[in-house]
Amino acid sequence: MKGMKKIIVILSILTTAISWVSIDTLYRKPKPVPFPVPKGWPQPVYDFSKNPLTEEGIALGKKLFYDTRLSKDGEISCASCHQQFGAFNTYDHNLSHGFNNSLTTRNAPGLFNLAWQKEYMWDGGINHLDLQPLAPITAENEMAETIENVINKLKLDKEYQQLFKAAFGDETINTQRLGKAISQFELQLVSSNSKYDKVMRGEAAFILPEQLGYDIFKKKCITCHSEPMFTDYSYRNVGLPIDSYLKDFGRMKITGDPADSLKFKVPSLRNVAMTFPYGHDGRLFSLMSVFEHYRKNMVVSATTDPLLKNKMALSNYEIGQLTAFLYTLTDSSFLKDPRFAPPGNENSGKLPADIHR
Amino acid sequence: MNKANNTIFVLAFCWIMLAIPIAGFSQKQVTLIFHHKAGNEDLVLGNSYTTALGEKITVQRFRYYISNISITDKQGKTTLLPVEYFLVDEADSLSKIINLSVPDNTIGSIQFLLGVDSIRNVSGIQTGALDPMRGMFWTWNSGYIMAKLEGISESSTIAGHYFTYHIGGFKGPNSTLKTITLNIPQTTTVQELHINADINTWFKNSSEIRTSETPVCHMPGPLAKKIADNYSSMFSINTIR
Repeated sequence: MKGMKKIIVILSILTTAISWVSIDTLYRKPKPVPFPVPKGWPQPVYDFSKNPLTEEGIALGKKLFYDTRLSKDGEISCASCHQQFGAFNTYDHNLSHGFNNSLTTRNAPGLFNLAWQKEYMWDGGINHLDLQPLAPITAENEMAETIENVINKLKLDKEYQQLFKAAFGDETINTQRLGKAISQFELQLVSSNSKYDKVMRGEAAFILPEQLGYDIFKKKCITCHSEPMFTDYSYRNVGLPIDSYLKDFGRMKITGDPADSLKFKVPSLRNVAMTFPYGHDGRLFSLMSVFEHYRKNMVVSATTDPLLKNKMALSNYEIGQLTAFLYTLTDSSFLKDPRFAPPGNENSGKLPADIHR
Repeated sequence: MNKANNTIFVLAFCWIMLAIPIAGFSQKQVTLIFHHKAGNEDLVLGNSYTTALGEKITVQRFRYYISNISITDKQGKTTLLPVEYFLVDEADSLSKIINLSVPDNTIGSIQFLLGVDSIRNVSGIQTGALDPMRGMFWTWNSGYIMAKLEGISESSTIAGHYFTYHIGGFKGPNSTLKTITLNIPQTTTVQELHINADINTWFKNSSEIRTSETPVCHMPGPLAKKIADNYSSMFSINTIR
């Protein structure tokens, strides 16, 4: 009789344990998220098979992207310098603010359509999206933290323990998972719904100045700012002379090749009206100053792009039409997409009041 | 009672079934044991040495990656061992002992890559010995530091009289990857292979590297290549057991 009781107790404990296991398995299986490629776009270069997108992974990545604890003083997050209302650039800043009143040495680019990009940073020094966050996290003039400290902070946090488990199946928190999660969020930042895109899809029509601007664009700009990404991802010297303080030679720092002196990645022009100031160090304050640079202020040197050896002839009329066209590249649904908004601000997709172009 | 016996029988059967394939491969064990040297002296972090070029240095860090190990047996057949990455670090005595399972421990020579092969340099964030957290990865110019030697030199002209040699680069002409081959004299059965790594080679070999002239190497390029060429012969066989 006593033995029977024991068996019943053991059996009931076992049944309960088994049910926990199965419920747990069901609960923690991350939900896959598809990655639709906009019509007419090339296939992405990011290898999704190594980092399958899931709801849980994206949610974790978003939390990390907006978490200031990734920095040494707990004040700076990825989002501090990559703000949604500026297409994830640092809005209205030539350089960004880093740890202890420091400044970065380059203009924070907007973040979108990263799945199509092979190399990151103005000089292309980083060869994989997952690796990219490690540079700003560890840079002394950005977040100034060590990878080890970041991982230790996350490991001590109960919520992160659960979020990593939900996203990756177990509680392991390491650099690889940190990078993969942030990538999952950043890969969601697809901007493909500007007026230009709607025109291309036959859902809208350009007004006359936009159409004239597009025609001029196709004659004078499209070789480097090629559709549909509005960059060919090449590195070119566009005649911005060396800044005597920053002494930034761009691509040459990565390749060590003097032929790459002063070459920087061609930036995408999507959302260009929102990503001022322009140039690798943000020295060109407005679209007007970019046009003035190309037609007048360029400093042509040995490595200046062959297409720009004689600068670029642009009339006032052409500048006007080009500007009208460039405005059609603003994707307001991207700028206000609640999925990308700071946690807690998902429903307040208002643009800042002081937009000046 | 009968049931318990049955259970034991089933368990034993399972164990035997599991053991059969493992025994079938009859893997043998070889242990690599690294001894770090400064010329004839044992390298001790914090101790002072005079380099082959007469500079007085104190070493604070000495680390390097070993990967893609293969073994050539007495018949001259080369077997590539399962790909694994080891960070050998003078500050971590366990890291200087590498246990390998090999098909045959009668060895004619052993080959390995000093560094991390290019594929791992372009495949995002890795784990374990290759975790960028280990301080052997350049975040601003993606790629592994294959080997690192740091310390203080009286001749160095930079702040703190430091010298810091972070040697990396995996692309084309800037590659610092080195394939090392160590031949076992009179092919023999090996249980323990004791390997010397002499930091003196970093300073004097095909090139002369003076901390007074080049105290810092922090990027791929000609200087990194020169130092890598130098240290490519830092390994030699100490003893075989």
